[in-house]
Parts: sequence; structure tokens; C-alpha cells
Amino acid sequence: MKKIMAFALALVMAMSMAACAKPAEAPVAPVEEAPVAPAEEAPVAPAEEAPAAPAVSATVQKLYDEFDAAMAEQLGAMPESFAELKVGAVVISLTNPFWANMKDCYEAAGAEMGVAIDVQTGTTEGDTASQLDVLMTMADMDYDVIIVSPIDGTNLIPGIVKCNENGVKVINLGPGVDTAALEEAGGHLDAKITVDFAEQGETCANDMIARLPEGGQVAIISGLAGAGQSEGRTAGAKEVLEAAEGFELVAVQNCDWDATLAYDAAKALITEYPELKGVFCCNDTMALAVKEAMAAEGKEGVLIYGVDLTDDARAAISEGTMTGSMSYSSQRYTKAALQMAVMLNEGHVFESFVYLPLTLVHVDNVNDMEGWK
Amino acid sequence: MSSFKRWCVKQSTALLLILVCLLMMAFLSVETRSFFSVKNVVNILEANSYRLILAVGMMCAIASGAIDLSMGSILSFSAICMAKAMKAEWSVAGSIMLSLALGMLMGAVNGSVIHLTRINAFIITLATSMLYRGLSLIATQGIPITKLPQLFREIGCGDIFGMESGVTMAIVITVLLIPLFYHTKWGSYVMSLGGNPEALKRSGVPIGLYRVSVFVLTGLLSAVAGIIVTARLNSAEANAGLSMEMDAICAVVMGGTAMRGGSGSLLGTVVAVFLMGLIRNGLTIMSVSSYYQQFITGAMMLCAVIIAEMRERRTRIG
Amino acid sequence: MEDLILRVTDIRKDYGHIQALQGASLSVKRGSITAVVGDNGSGKSTLIKILSGNIKPDGGSIQVGQESYGSLSIKNAMELGIRTVYQDLSLDNYKNSFENIFLGAELTRGPFLDRRAMKEEAGAILERINVAIPDLEEPVGNLSGGQRQGVAIARALRTPGKILLLDEPTAAMGIHESHSAMNILRSLKEQGMSQLIISHNIHQVFDIADYIWVMRLGRCIAGVATADTTPQQLQELILSRENQEVQ
Repeated sequence: MKKIMAFALALVMAMSMAACAKPAEAPVAPVEEAPVAPAEEAPVAPAEEAPAAPAVSATVQKLYDEFDAAMAEQLGAMPESFAELKVGAVVISLTNPFWANMKDCYEAAGAEMGVAIDVQTGTTEGDTASQLDVLMTMADMDYDVIIVSPIDGTNLIPGIVKCNENGVKVINLGPGVDTAALEEAGGHLDAKITVDFAEQGETCANDMIARLPEGGQVAIISGLAGAGQSEGRTAGAKEVLEAAEGFELVAVQNCDWDATLAYDAAKALITEYPELKGVFCCNDTMALAVKEAMAAEGKEGVLIYGVDLTDDARAAISEGTMTGSMSYSSQRYTKAALQMAVMLNEGHVFESFVYLPLTLVHVDNVNDMEGWK
Repeated sequence: MSSFKRWCVKQSTALLLILVCLLMMAFLSVETRSFFSVKNVVNILEANSYRLILAVGMMCAIASGAIDLSMGSILSFSAICMAKAMKAEWSVAGSIMLSLALGMLMGAVNGSVIHLTRINAFIITLATSMLYRGLSLIATQGIPITKLPQLFREIGCGDIFGMESGVTMAIVITVLLIPLFYHTKWGSYVMSLGGNPEALKRSGVPIGLYRVSVFVLTGLLSAVAGIIVTARLNSAEANAGLSMEMDAICAVVMGGTAMRGGSGSLLGTVVAVFLMGLIRNGLTIMSVSSYYQQFITGAMMLCAVIIAEMRERRTRIG
Repeated sequence: MEDLILRVTDIRKDYGHIQALQGASLSVKRGSITAVVGDNGSGKSTLIKILSGNIKPDGGSIQVGQESYGSLSIKNAMELGIRTVYQDLSLDNYKNSFENIFLGAELTRGPFLDRRAMKEEAGAILERINVAIPDLEEPVGNLSGGQRQGVAIARALRTPGKILLLDEPTAAMGIHESHSAMNILRSLKEQGMSQLIISHNIHQVFDIADYIWVMRLGRCIAGVATADTTPQQLQELILSRENQEVQ
């Protein structure tokens, strides 16, 4: 009897999963397609050669061109031919839309450039130790180059040291590895490509100030305390807002990248500061939650900024319910990282960090951003 | 000993917490401008409605000598299936029923596996929490499902008595649990599952049924919390509810329910959820870093547990 | 023949390689206190678990009144009037006396527990078996050993039973407490309740039992009337060789 019950349970469970799997196709599809389409007609080399693709607006093409020119300046040209290589990438999470998209972009860029790429994350999301375990395992496999995006500044250091010992080249993409601690541990990075997090905060804060000529009360919703992106963006925005005439930074609240926490914090803030004029959030997940909170409060006109330009944030900016989001092209980002991997494998040495050019997508240019990925 | 006095001893942790709450409220109303506004009180209630629903469920599980670490994962997976159903043009009512049914089903799986294998609930629900979270990740590929039907949002966070509907749901659930937990056979047997399951079995009670029912309840309440969380954010995400079961356990224990089971304090749980909400709200409107929030919650939990344990030893039950 | 309330014939039980019971037979006369004594591992506990329906025997029969059974479930045993007080007393320490007495058979009014009725009835049951518990609402975890034993017996006898099985009723008690527990059993006997007591305390058994069975290596090797034997003889039987079987 008990066995039959258990079996029946398992069966119902499996059926419910199958039922869920079907509708899953719809929302996932556009994300899979999107990065592939523009990738086809966007060579890394000279920008002027690129024909205007139908999926890409003139504004975006201009941004891409600027980007490519800036990258070419920093990286040098892509080798015409190169030895076959296998690249690994260790990312932070696959539950966050940003990193889920990065994984797709890595794979698309790999396919385009003819580079084999595997994208991995820790077995437990957000767990620093399990992310390290994955890197340690990959260090012993047959990768030529591994691109790491650590959860915090130090968690991957032993893995990077092991890669160094095994002759695997290491590129740090995005959140920074603590280079002093790494050197102390006897390791080094072969290259680093990143965005300047402080610049993201500064750009949003400056845009906010420009849109609020009369000044007023503003707040910052930060991510996880101690996380590099969060601290950098917060510091950048904070510096600009505190220095601005007529502005009062009333709160800097950590909401751990969590939508629910950000939602509740926003409600508490708008109650305490009904005159609140603007909120800078360290990512779009939180910014969208703040947007929902403002809508629930019936509060209009509060400027809300985020970072990452997720699909939902882009839609919110089009509607005017969000003001802006810091973006950069994940497609170009991953492509540049893979180009660096190829160049490292060919013996090129990168003397300095590579910084990715950034773009603020806001209510005034969002409709010109067709095709931006 | 009079019944009232016995009740006071039993609820001493809860009564102490109420005192702390009052002090906290006095402090916050002096320190901040909006604390005692109706709006802010409503905010606190709204921000803790789903936490309360999870915590009272967890209280039943802990009173039964078990624990349910999969509540956050059930919350996420049931909400994702619900959101997908709505995206697939299911009716809102049908989607909500699906979510509740899945919550109960996942709970029933937890309870059945625990009963049949006799393996510790901690281990089993730890495993299923990853299992269900994994299903959420697989189903969404990490992409949140957004823009849900307006009717659903009305149900999950629409206005009832000037507050989000979640507050009413939480109050109704808690009020229904009072007689269910304290004045029915079900509640009595659930506590005995924690007190002495062997005695219950020897009294001819089908303990498997009651064990499973506790997890069906926690699963159902997780799904209800999932509806509220999803409606408020207008988004169902794979990492929704992440570590919310830990907050629930924290509230239950702080409220004076012992981890070994055998008895439980609904009042203490309610007060502890409210107190944790007060701290969170107070520190936000005072713009104090969340570092302190964790520190304060941790310190209070430690005090509450030590006080409860000392009281227990003095009256030497067990 | 004598008036027997319970007769066990040739009961066998194996746990893998260990033969806990190798054909044990004994009987209990109506209205008597019958004791089973034996060393640890002689099979006493297995026997009582079989009689209370907690485990199924591999062979043999159990005769209760006129009917004979191959095995019993907990429910069967209850229905046949077999009442069991387990060695650990099976009390929920967090519940009070009347809640424990009515555990699994709560009185209800509609869907809700009728605590007042349970408290009243529990008080009557305790009075009937001469157990004094000052506060019926005190959790039993806070009661003395004798009081706890009283609650456990009161639960066993909440509904009329034919025979009361007691597994090591005084195992964990001090002298004073075990004395009061014994008094409860004596007064039950006066009310005509048949009892089967498992014990390894020979002196106590001598004090209270009418008949004594000696178990050794999974068999009942002797059954004697207390009046016809002495503690020394019993002691020798317990430690005796298997071939000195009596009866």
C-alpha cells in the first residue's frame, strides 16, 4: 500500500513537471535567440566595415562602433588565425538574468569565433566555497584559458593559484579578484577585463542630478554588503550625490540584491520621506521592485535607476516607470574576453586592465536601443 | 497553579518579546518621523504577512519534532508553476489552485519520504529544498516571469481594509490555526509527534498520517506565501524565498518554541515575526546598515533561546 | 481446569540469528497477579511486546479468554481487553495528566477537544485506582516517578480491560516510589484486575505476585505459586541449566 502511494506521488509529481515544462518554452525563447541574431553580422575588426544590420538601430550601431573602436585601442587587433583552444568560464550565478544572459553570450561568441567554451557556476548558487570547488576541478582539466568572475574578492584565489601552477591562463572578468591577496598567495592574473563599478554609480547619479534641477531627497538601495559591484556602485553614486548642491542623501540601505527586501525598504523609505525624488539601485532586480513599490503606493515621478539593463528594466524604462539603467553590451563584453583568451594563448601579454565602455540607457534614448545586447 | 499563571509561564518568552516590541516602538517613534504613522504600521504588516504565514507553518513543523527546510523552495517552485500557467492562458483561479495543490504535493512528498524512510526531517527537507529549487531553476532558466494578470495581482496584493490582501490572509491563517493547533486532536497529535511519537503510536494513532499532514500544511502555507510574494513583485523568480525558511525558524525559536518539539507557541511566533519586522523597518527608515540588523536579530535570538532554556530547566519538563 | 484469562503456547520469535523466544508457554489465572522473572535477554520484553501487539511472533498461539490467536496487532490487543503499561511508560512529558490518559482517545465536543470532560473523567479514573495527583494540569514531565506510573496505569485502564501487562513497573524508581506503585497494583488486584508483571526484582515479585514464571533463554522453564517457593529457589532457577525444566 505504502509503495503504491509513493509511486503514485512520484507519478503525479512527474506529470506536474511535464505540465510546467511546456509553458516554459515561451519566455525562454527570445533570450536564446536574441544574442545569436546580431552576432552574425558584427565582426570585431574595423567598425566601418560592418553593414547596418536590420535588427540594430542607428544609435546602437553607433554605440557598438564606439565600443569596438575603444576596445581595439585597448586590446589590439584580433589575430587572423590562431591555434585551437578550449576556454572555461566560471560565473557567479545562473539564476540572475544578467549572468544567465552572459552565459548565452559566451556561448554565442564562442561559436562565432570558433573557440570551445564551457560556462560553469558553483553547485550551490551564491556559495563562495562551491564556486571555488568548480574552479579547482576545472584547473585540472584540459582548459587553456579560464575566465573567472568571482563572488567575492578572495574566494577563488586558491583556484587561480592552481591554474597558474598548471599553466592555465586566467582572465578576471567583472567583479575583481583582490590582487594584493592573490599575490600574497603566490598567484597572478594574466589579464583582467571589467567595468568600473564606481563609474556606473556616478553616471546614474549625474543623470539624476541633471533631471532634478531643484534638488531634493534621494536614496541608494545597495546590494550585498561587501560585494564589489555593490560597494563600487554605491560609493560612486554616494560621492556624486553628497557633493551635489541641494541634494540630501537620506538613506543608503543594503537589500542584498533581493527584490522582496528592496520592495519593503522602498515602502518604508517613501513613508518616512514622502518627498523622495530619486532612488539609485545597485541592480535592476531591486530597481524593478522599487518601481513596483512606488506603483503600489501610487507614487509617481520618483526617478529610479538600476544597473544591468535586464529585459524587464528596458520595458519599464520604455513605459517611463523606471528612469534609467546602466548597461554595456554583454555580447561585446564576452567577445572581448574571448578575444583576450585567444591572444593570451598566442603569447600576447596584457600590461594593464581592460575597461569596458559603459552606456546609460534612459527614458530618452531607450527607444533608439533596438537590438542592443 | 491557576490556568492563567500557567499560561503566563508557558508564554513567558512571548510576553518578554512583547515588552521588547513596545520598547522598540517607543524608541522608534521618538527617533523617526514616520514610525507611528498609519502608513508605516501598514508597511510593517504588509512586509511581514508572508513571513508570518511561513513562520506559523514552521512552528507546527518544529512542534512536531521536525523541521521544514524546503519552505522557501516550495514557495519558489509553486509560484513559478503558477506564473507559467497564467502565461499559458490558464485562468487566474486555476493557476492559484495549481500552486496550492503543488505546494501540498511537495509537502506530502517531504512527509511521506520522512515517514517511510524514518530519516531525520532535517536531512530530507534539506535535500528536497535543493531538489525543488533545482526544479525552479530548470523551469525558468534563471529568467524571472513578469507581467502577471491584473486580477492575480488584485488577489495577491490588492487592497483589503486599506492593506494588501496578504495581511488579511496572514491574520486569517493565524486565527484559524489557534483552535486547530491548541483545541483539536490534530494539534494535540502534532505536538505529541514531537513529545513522544512512540506513545502516540502505541495509543493506536496512525502517526504517518499526522506526520504527512504537517508537511502538507507547511507546503500549502509556502504556496500561499508564494502567491503574496509573486503578486507584490509582479514577478516569479527561481530565487524567490531563498533562505526565508531560516527567517521563519529564527522567529519560531525566538518566540519560545523549542527545537526538540512537543509544544509550540503561536503567540510567540507572531510576536517574534512582528519584532523582526520592526527591526528591519526601523533600521531602514533610520538608514542603519543591514550589518547591524543581522547582529541585533542574532543577539536577540540568542537571548530568547537562553531564557527559554533556563525556564525549561527550572520547571524541569522532560 | 483453572479459570485462565490468558494462555500463551509455544511462542517463538527470531531476530535474524538471535532466537529471542524459543517456544515459551505460560498462563495467567483470572484475578491473579502473575509475574515473569528472568535475567536480561531471557525474552521477557519480547514476550510482552508480542502480547501487546507491538511485534508479531513467528509461531505459537495466544489464547485470550476462549479465543486463540496466532498474532495480535496493537488494536486487536486493545479490543481483547489487554492493557499495557510500557517500561518507559509511553507518556508525552509536555502534556498534562488527563491529556496523557486520553491520548489517542480524546473526548471531543464537535471538532474541538473537551478538556473539561477529560479532566473530570481522568480524575474519576485516578480516584478509582487510588492514585493521587494534586494538579491534573501539570505536565507529566514534572511529576514524580510514582505519579507517572499512576498516570500510565490510569491510561491503560481508562476503558475496562481484562488483563493489565506491566513491563518492569518499578525499574527506574526509588524505594519510596516503587512502594507506592506496588500499592496501586495491590488495590487493582482487590478490584479483581488480572495482572502480568515483568520484572527482574525477585524480592518485589515475592511481595506482590501470586504466581511466578521463570524465563531463561527464550523459554518459561518454571511456573510456581509464590507460596510454594522461596527467593533462593527462584534465584537458582533463574541461573539454572536448561535441563532442569519444570512442568
